[in-house]
Amino acid sequence: MIRLDGIRKRYPGADIDILAGIDLTVDAHDFVSIVGRSGSGKTTLLNLIGGLDTDYDGSIEMGGSNLRSFEDAGLSDLRNRKVGHVFQAYHLLDHLTCSENVSVAALFARGEMRRDASWIRRRADEVLATVCLKGAGGRRPSTLSGGERQRVALARALFHQPEVLLCDEPTGNLDLETGREIVELLSHLHRRGEMTIIAATHDEKISTVGERTLRLRDGCFVNLDGGGE
Amino acid sequence: MIGRGWKRAVTSDLRRHWRHFAAASVGIILGVAALTFFLALGLKVRELLLVQVFPSNYVEVVPRSADIDLFALRLDLGRDVLDAAVMADIESIEGVDAVFPKMRLMAPALASGGESLFGGGLQTEIVADGIDPQLVADVVGDAFREVDADRINTPCSTNEQCGEDAYCDGTRSFSGGFCQPYIPVLVSPYVVELYNGAFRRSYNLPKINPDSLMGLAFDMDFGASTFRPSTLPPIRERMRLAGVSDKAIPLGVTLPLGEVRRLNMAFGGPAAGDQYHSAVIEVLSKDSVPGVVDAIEAMGLEVRDRGARRAAFATAVIMVVLALVGGVLIAVAAAHIMHVFFLVVIVRRREIGLLRAVGARRGDIRILLVAEAAVIGMAAGLAGVAVAVAGGAAANAFAAGRVPDFPFKPESFFAFSPLLLASVLALAVVACVIGALPPAYRAASGDPSEALAGR
Repeated sequence: MIRLDGIRKRYPGADIDILAGIDLTVDAHDFVSIVGRSGSGKTTLLNLIGGLDTDYDGSIEMGGSNLRSFEDAGLSDLRNRKVGHVFQAYHLLDHLTCSENVSVAALFARGEMRRDASWIRRRADEVLATVCLKGAGGRRPSTLSGGERQRVALARALFHQPEVLLCDEPTGNLDLETGREIVELLSHLHRRGEMTIIAATHDEKISTVGERTLRLRDGCFVNLDGGGE
Repeated sequence: MIGRGWKRAVTSDLRRHWRHFAAASVGIILGVAALTFFLALGLKVRELLLVQVFPSNYVEVVPRSADIDLFALRLDLGRDVLDAAVMADIESIEGVDAVFPKMRLMAPALASGGESLFGGGLQTEIVADGIDPQLVADVVGDAFREVDADRINTPCSTNEQCGEDAYCDGTRSFSGGFCQPYIPVLVSPYVVELYNGAFRRSYNLPKINPDSLMGLAFDMDFGASTFRPSTLPPIRERMRLAGVSDKAIPLGVTLPLGEVRRLNMAFGGPAAGDQYHSAVIEVLSKDSVPGVVDAIEAMGLEVRDRGARRAAFATAVIMVVLALVGGVLIAVAAAHIMHVFFLVVIVRRREIGLLRAVGARRGDIRILLVAEAAVIGMAAGLAGVAVAVAGGAAANAFAAGRVPDFPFKPESFFAFSPLLLASVLALAVVACVIGALPPAYRAASGDPSEALAGR
């Protein structure tokens, strides 16, 4: 379960809070869609939940642990083991193959998560197959289409079987058809019931997949009809 | 962490930015090359000075001179000789392991011979001294030893009848000869170098191999001189070269101490047998040398500085200066490395953010960048060492072909010791790592979200 209490965030030099007291509870294996205009704070909220941003007021709990209680090492391990991020801009490393991109988290695995090279290769092939990119492991991201790149990014997020998958505009850079394929993938993952998914999106299709859709406006959640949640 | 994966990550990063890193490495290569070249040169020069030109394992003590110049003359008012009592005092100094007295031959001498070597007989005035054979036993062994007191005995008519260490001397009897022992002599390597480097050119003589000199026999007429006639009849002895040693007199020949004592007593009377002109002192360790020197000087004696200490100091100063030049080059190169890494970190901002997003700790990012810097340092260091070794080979080739022979001219002017090479490689790696540390810390600072946003 993920719980946010009174989350406030203001970027340096900004006049207003990008997040102005967010309270949110997400149950395990839920699919929550967060919609809102550009600049409404969706990405900021996902960054806070995923431990990518530590400068905020309020508290965030994940699996009963307050993220503030983690030092850099603990937060890094959390990102490595329990959280998968999918970014609108993919953030693939062009000098690596798809397989290496997918398994890049293995470089920083510790303890029981540390595996040998053959396991890593097998797992990379497995998650690439999950996103319908079987056999593409040796290709470079620069040779892929936008939809394929986003699928590689999704496979990378799934590599360590995260408990939480955070998707930031996963279809934002894709055409309608390709975006639909990504939505179907997310829907498929949700149906498997293995992870909690929070997706920030403009895409109405994504919001129809999840159990809940939240609208973010002026730093607060509002009802879909425009009122406060 | 997965070792292989990290290796792949580091090498692929280096490949991507190889132009930046190659440019940054030029300074390291030049710095390492300069440092290695000059240190190897300095070490070799130092080795030549201390091991061959000025061997410094022993301290030589001489009476303190008190010369006064009076017109064309220099009056020696100090003590000229050391006697047995002084030797005993020296031996009692703490840190002294052994004392070996040296006695200068107090009579003129002429050396003649060398037909087999030079194709014709040579004759020259020569000076000689005598040393205890034990002083050089570890170098020349048993070949240089005192001659038996029972000298004239067996009658003979050929050299073969006298065995290996004697010859048949027919000059002392009309009715045949008597076996006489060869007197072993030593020469200094400086004599050989001086001959090969300068003397032979003046007289158009062949260059000689020092090893071939062993066993060379020649005659010496003690008490004879071309400068002034002797009041006593000269004594002719046959010498045989027993070895080359830095303990031998620099210009002349060195005989066993007993032989010089015998000759000095023959020409100067019984008192001349107890007058030593210097003493070689073997100290227990090099650390004891300063204390021993102080004690000797307190006794009113002097330690003969054959230039070793000054040469060693001068060499050390030159090495430090040259090393500083190389060090400054490397330091500047390290600053350049830092600059390049700052640029690379900016270029790779989002990539570093992504690595942080998938679980890289701040320390992992620092290690990744520092590992890249270490690889650059190692590669640049190896290249620098290769440049230095190639430069040394070129300098050696130039010296062999263009620089005239001179005493102690070595085949190589450089001592590229494994320790030196390992040290400069380590220095190159350390310089690059130090240069990369500030950018690495900068890259690892901040939240991943900032890096992903390119902030």
